[in-house]
Amino acid sequence: MKKLIEILNGVKKASGWQITENAKTSNELFFVHEKLETVRATDTVDTLVTIYVEHDDCLGDSSFSVYSYMSDEDILNKINAAIERAKLVFNRPYKLVEGEKLVAEIPSDMNGKDKIKLAESIADAVFAAKAPEGGSLNALEVFVNDVKTRVVNSRGLDKTQTKRYAFVEAIPTFTDEKQSVEVYFSADFSNFDKDKLTEDISTKLAEAKARSVAQKPTTPMRVNVVLRADDISALLDELSSDMSYSAAYTQSDYYKIGDDICGGNGDKITLTLFGVVEGSKASSYFDDDGVALSSVTLVKDGVVTAKHGSNRFGQYLGVERPSGVLPCKALETGSLSQEKLSSEPYIECVALSALQVDVYSDYIGGEIRTAFYHDGKSCTPVTGITMSAKLSEVLKTALLSDKCVVQGSYKGPDKMLLKNVSVL
Amino acid sequence: MFSKYLDAKREDCRKLVAELKKTFSYVSVLGTDVRSTVYRADKRVSSVRDGSGECGFVVKMNDGNSFYEYSFDDVSGDVKKLAAHIIKSVKVTPSLCSRSISAAAISDEPLKKDFSRNTDFDKYSDGQLLEKCKEFSGLLLKGDEKVVNGIAMINALSVSKLFVTENRELSQHYGWAYGYLIVVYVDGKPVQAREFSGEPTISEVLVDMEAGVKKAVDLARHLAKAKPIVPGVYDVITDPSISGLIAHEAFGHGVEMDQFVKDRAMAKNFMGEYVASPIVDMHDGAAATQSVASYFFDDDGVLAHDTQIIDKGVLVAGLSDLASATQLSTMPTGNGRRESFKRKAYSRMTNTFFSAGKDKLEDMIASVKHGYMLFQTNNGMEDPKNWQIQCTAEYGIEIIDGKLTDNYVSPVVMSGSVPELLKSISMVGDNFKVIGAGMCGKGYKEWVRVSDGGPSLKVRVKLG
Repeated sequence: MKKLIEILNGVKKASGWQITENAKTSNELFFVHEKLETVRATDTVDTLVTIYVEHDDCLGDSSFSVYSYMSDEDILNKINAAIERAKLVFNRPYKLVEGEKLVAEIPSDMNGKDKIKLAESIADAVFAAKAPEGGSLNALEVFVNDVKTRVVNSRGLDKTQTKRYAFVEAIPTFTDEKQSVEVYFSADFSNFDKDKLTEDISTKLAEAKARSVAQKPTTPMRVNVVLRADDISALLDELSSDMSYSAAYTQSDYYKIGDDICGGNGDKITLTLFGVVEGSKASSYFDDDGVALSSVTLVKDGVVTAKHGSNRFGQYLGVERPSGVLPCKALETGSLSQEKLSSEPYIECVALSALQVDVYSDYIGGEIRTAFYHDGKSCTPVTGITMSAKLSEVLKTALLSDKCVVQGSYKGPDKMLLKNVSVL
Repeated sequence: MFSKYLDAKREDCRKLVAELKKTFSYVSVLGTDVRSTVYRADKRVSSVRDGSGECGFVVKMNDGNSFYEYSFDDVSGDVKKLAAHIIKSVKVTPSLCSRSISAAAISDEPLKKDFSRNTDFDKYSDGQLLEKCKEFSGLLLKGDEKVVNGIAMINALSVSKLFVTENRELSQHYGWAYGYLIVVYVDGKPVQAREFSGEPTISEVLVDMEAGVKKAVDLARHLAKAKPIVPGVYDVITDPSISGLIAHEAFGHGVEMDQFVKDRAMAKNFMGEYVASPIVDMHDGAAATQSVASYFFDDDGVLAHDTQIIDKGVLVAGLSDLASATQLSTMPTGNGRRESFKRKAYSRMTNTFFSAGKDKLEDMIASVKHGYMLFQTNNGMEDPKNWQIQCTAEYGIEIIDGKLTDNYVSPVVMSGSVPELLKSISMVGDNFKVIGAGMCGKGYKEWVRVSDGGPSLKVRVKLG
């Protein structure tokens, strides 16, 4: 990168520049029926350069990739082409992040360990799961990654962050003489808790067995539906995506500051975005523009209180200190105890195809592949059903559990109860 | 034009193959140079920039047991040193070695060929394409006073790939162009309407976008008044986009044969059996039609195929990459694809579609007493093991007494059992279109560009 910086500093026609570099190495294991099918390793670098040109009271910018084979002349040609492209762009000016320096490592209990041995330990933890008779793991993929990110710009910013994280995808399956069914499991983490991983896979193997005896309940029905952490996280992603500076600036945002998105007798949502969750793969100290990440409470007691997003669109909206692109989210726990939850019948979603949320169409729903129907006395596995509801209606009455979990980039209640959902 | 960089690396790739062949019985090198330029304008912001491209190499090796792969940026330098580094990088512990699969010997049929399909990308300057985006954005804004923003985007994608083994040396170059129009419309509440285009040339995309402006604004007006659908089981007419989504999710993912190896696809046990209505034919293949996934050879160096998956309702064939075909002792079908040179190759779809039938669309609509016609793919989710399906359409239009009404519903989630859905197909349209603007993940990752489509279908299905 030193050479690239020298070349960029020598270019007089550009009013600024930024380099974002991600160097990644990985070791990957792919198992089929507990047999090792493929072993992979990678060693790659992605370098993105953005050129800024002030012209006609505007700021133009253009980005290009730099590849390892490129000569100085190749790079100069790309810079000159980017300058010409930037002159075609008439955007409002904004300032790059200035002068901040940082060299940091995201904490991980996997740091310093041999990656291939670590991948094997992770695989062993998965295979150690307790399987019911007929249970098995049909496929397993394990990735252990090291990523070094560096952002440098012409205003003196120079930040470097290293991160180690793992990703696991497993397919717990249950087979008997009548049928074979599977469920899906994936997890990414920067702290490796061997026992928790084994326990999580054991739970999934039990859920695969439950799916094998699941029946379609009598439908249609109106019933309370419980979402688990993964789906709560997906719902929050949709809400927070709409609350970005860029959505506001391009006038495509649905939620405005001051809107009460709960407004009923449910638990009032308090949603905060921030940079680092201990143990989360998503954790970061700065974003792609080098903005230092802190936290922003987007929704407080059900009311939209702030927007979030990149340096550029934050400045366009007049935000003094833009939040940067925040990768993690926290939702405050609520009033829903297990006792309260059990007071009415409910369907607890174990596996949705993919939660569909559309704030514009005021919709939440999806195909439920596996769920447990709790009628107050017993718990029955169910399948073959689809849920749908008005998003605004369920947010008014939703209850959040009082138990907090950390899953991926999400920290918050382990359950969200949506009331009076249509199930077909 | 094929990448000059990759062209200059042919000899290095040959030498690397020769060096690694001292250790492995099969070695291939895939070099990729994919370039993309994105032009975008809306009411307030515009940009011209490189899009998501890639440039690098992946080596695939096999010695009769596990497959080994190494992804890296450049093949230059001391080849012996590079080969030694690759071997060291993929080395695993003895305990892992003892868990290896056994694979049959891999065929390396001799073939040397260069493939190319021309584009018109050079006819347009950056300034012309950005101006076009600004023009379309302006036209969207003028289309209705309630349009608060109009977003126009053009993306030109140029693909070069080089594949080298001991006996095989293949190169290919082709391009694809995309156009996107998005309208943000506020009539009490905001809604977004979209029009997509995917074509071999920019000139065709520009024609589509010009026609798409009015469609997008009209759609926005209707979506502003759209209501949620009352959940139920309905007679449904699909537009080609939704037909393609059904093909893709129902029996596209379901016949990806790496899932057969893992016993993750029920289709493995249904070869030769009726899985759909007898009036249904379905294909997949890079050579099956010309669209975004119409490459000449796949990422395993296997030439493009046209695979018939369903023949008159009977499941007849699957889609395989090299690794799965080797383990199943079948011939690979040219469906080995990687998200990029940095990722593993899997069995993946390319251009997937139902074949055209004989029914007129107007007759199909007229045959519905009460139901919906569904339009525009939003997303879908496969379940090859348990044959469930979820397909989300951007919107639907209610059909009453055989006529399309002005009643729009949005979004519409279609779900149910795959065989029930496919066996419910009672009419197949004579209209046919393949839409090359999609991305497909395997599970929840490994995104590749795909097309899908077909004719309109009449089905009976659960909507929610």
